[in-house]
Amino acid sequence: MKRKVAIGFLGTQLDMGSGPGRWEKWRPTVCLGQQEEFSADRIDLLVDSRRFKGLTRTVVDDLRQTSPATQVVIHDTYLADPWDFECVYSALFDFARSYSFDTEQEDYFIHISTGTHVAQICWFLLAESRFVPAKLLQTSPPPKQRRDTTGSVSVIDLDLARYDQIAQRFSNAAQATAEFLKSGINTQSAAFNRMIEQIERVAMRSRAPMLLMGPTGAGKSQLARNIFELKKQRQDLKGRFVEVNCATLRGDGAGSALFGHVRGAFTGAQNDRVGLLKSADGGMLFLDEIGELGLDEQAMLLRAIEDKRFPPLGGDRETQSDFQLIAGTNRDLSEASRDGRFRDDLFARLNLWTFHLPGLKERAEDIEPNLDFELDRHARINHERVRFNLEARSRFLRFATSAEALWPGNFRDLGASITRMATLSDSGRITVDVVDEEIARLRRAWGDGSRPSMGNEVDLAKLLGAEAETLDRFDAVQLTEVVRVCRQSRTLSEAGRILFQASREIKRSSNDADRLRKYLARFGLSFERIGA
Amino acid sequence: MEQELIELDGSIGEGGGQILRSALSLSVITGRPFRLRRIRANRAKPGLMRQHLTCVQAAAQISAADVTGAELQSSELRFVPKTLVAGAHHFAIGTAGSTMLVVQTLLPMLLAAPGESRITVEGGTHNMMAPSSCFLNRVFLPQLRRIGADVELVVEREGLFPAGGGRIVLKVRPSKLKPVELSERGALRGIGAEALLAAVPEHVGLREITAVADHFRLRREQVRHRDLGHQTGPGNVLSVWAEFEHVCELVTVHGERRVAAEQVAERACTELDTYLSSAAVAGEYLADQMLLPLWLSGEGGYRCGEPSSHTLTNLDTLGRFGGPSIECRKLAEGVHEIATTRPEVSSRA
Repeated sequence: MKRKVAIGFLGTQLDMGSGPGRWEKWRPTVCLGQQEEFSADRIDLLVDSRRFKGLTRTVVDDLRQTSPATQVVIHDTYLADPWDFECVYSALFDFARSYSFDTEQEDYFIHISTGTHVAQICWFLLAESRFVPAKLLQTSPPPKQRRDTTGSVSVIDLDLARYDQIAQRFSNAAQATAEFLKSGINTQSAAFNRMIEQIERVAMRSRAPMLLMGPTGAGKSQLARNIFELKKQRQDLKGRFVEVNCATLRGDGAGSALFGHVRGAFTGAQNDRVGLLKSADGGMLFLDEIGELGLDEQAMLLRAIEDKRFPPLGGDRETQSDFQLIAGTNRDLSEASRDGRFRDDLFARLNLWTFHLPGLKERAEDIEPNLDFELDRHARINHERVRFNLEARSRFLRFATSAEALWPGNFRDLGASITRMATLSDSGRITVDVVDEEIARLRRAWGDGSRPSMGNEVDLAKLLGAEAETLDRFDAVQLTEVVRVCRQSRTLSEAGRILFQASREIKRSSNDADRLRKYLARFGLSFERIGA
Repeated sequence: MEQELIELDGSIGEGGGQILRSALSLSVITGRPFRLRRIRANRAKPGLMRQHLTCVQAAAQISAADVTGAELQSSELRFVPKTLVAGAHHFAIGTAGSTMLVVQTLLPMLLAAPGESRITVEGGTHNMMAPSSCFLNRVFLPQLRRIGADVELVVEREGLFPAGGGRIVLKVRPSKLKPVELSERGALRGIGAEALLAAVPEHVGLREITAVADHFRLRREQVRHRDLGHQTGPGNVLSVWAEFEHVCELVTVHGERRVAAEQVAERACTELDTYLSSAAVAGEYLADQMLLPLWLSGEGGYRCGEPSSHTLTNLDTLGRFGGPSIECRKLAEGVHEIATTRPEVSSRA
């Protein structure tokens, strides 16, 4: 059991009292020794010993009488002006520095009911910044009509999450924020919700770059924009949201578009141009498909993030711009940096906060909420409310969540599909016929490569090329199934778990992912290459 | 040898603290460990309070017990006694604890100890929430001596709430207890009153005892007042008692600011009158406190008024530690008998 230690000033007003009458007065320091539910093993009392010798003796004696087990230690503390912030803070800071806190053995409580208001403020600051690893302890006088004078104590823990009512408010606010980040889509996927919570926390506390990974159409751009709006609401960012897809920045124009140029920097540079980085000053720059950026631009971008300064093309006067960077990619940047196509120092800088946005297929439970979201959006844009017939809705959802529906373009595909159906619907009703037509259309669009009827046929020839011919049928059958499972799995580990489930259960295999990786390597394949 | 833990629920009945004190006494006497859960669960301030903790610590010291959960506001306590250590012990508990509750907890176990004990306790002797040293000396200890207990309580200094500063010495010799027989009060020997004053004007005490004397038509020498000095003041306690041939009852009223001395006296008189006009032999608090001696002696019984919920909870706790079976029976309106059940009675039941 840890010892409890109370630290506080001797109250030169409140603790004052002499003669028997003092027992009829509420004295905060003495009452620390009289509580039923709190007792201190030690009280460290900050006292100006020269001026308050008599009072100190009375208080110490009375504490000994009421609570003999409590040790009282006097710390001679001189305050030239107890109402002067600087003076009190320095004195308490020095006290805290010289005090050897032993938090393994002792719990500390700062008694804030004695001392000036300035002293209270200083105690609070020291406790809040953890210079003093203590909770705050408040003693309060008894109600007037009560006959005893012991009053009560309460512990104030500055960890606000410990208070139910406050925590409730926090969680309501956090939920509202998460809703915002999700554009109000009522996501059912627990993993996705967890990621949104994390993004929210990071967005609120940090201005470090973030990297959003995920297939095209997974909603990276929308999410980046939502993060920006959120930070803007919280007054964290004042500038603009600037979005650019790096795939569109090819060749010479790329550097100029990003970093700007001065007049005469190159042929045709007739005027100064402010680059996108400068436009995002004080705001947010979203660089989608950052893997497509050229190596030169990568180097300049890194410098711009680190120094918040960069020279425009052809100029020697550096431009300043302080922006929050969010990068998006659908490529595996770690692989690209291994291959030298992406600078590893820039990757390291971006990789601090990396979030993987799953594609629609991995969030099958979110298809329905997104369906409603898209219908709402359609209604907003076209001023026309469109609804599914009950049967049509369930038929579409059955197809949309089946293994057959690949959704290669993810939410973009889903949005487009719903827009088509809404447009083709008669008098605001999407009927079974409209759904059936749409399903046929989607099957045709996704048709090549995988048979629509199964959606999971594996063409080894396509994966292995000529080598497929040399495979024994025995191996081909096995590999086909392995590839099929890989394609249905999100990660190598997940595929490993499914494939080696039986030996897992008898705990024979410890690393399924490794086993699977080695198996694939025998055919010159990797999980990524299979295109899962 | 590892004994089976007796599981107790501290939320039942009214006596969270009472269950604890009885369990501590019984556990040390029987050597059986216990776990008390949900300590005072339904109270505004649940868990162990300081007055309970001081009892736990004292009992642990005397029995060299292994204790877990012995801290303020703890809701669960595990107590495993080892050996009873008789001899001299000293406890300084201050005023948030109560010396009398500690005495009440230790006394039964010391009667069963292997040797003579001398316990010094420093703290408060008169506290609104606990029996006073006057009560123990005039009511409870004489009953113990009647059944053969060799006990003495010396109040060296009274300590009033909130200043405290009192000091008592409890001397106990191991004693084999005789059956408890308390079925009638016997003849009234006298009524008395004492007012204690600490840093309170003397006239307060004089007015109190005068009012009591008037009420019961007492002679001057039957009432008295005593000044305790300034150390433990300010405070005022009035005790009024009625002594019978076989039993005594004492009521204690604490004086308060803005309450006239006469009113304090009236409260005490009214309370004592209630006892006098009842058919109870043991008063409410005595009835409660005699349970453990009855259990220890193993035989006998006593009559009392309507048992308090404290007493009933206490009775349940006793049963959990084995020993004689004790019952509370209603004899007539306002008269109950708490007694061990005779073997033939229990076999019929």
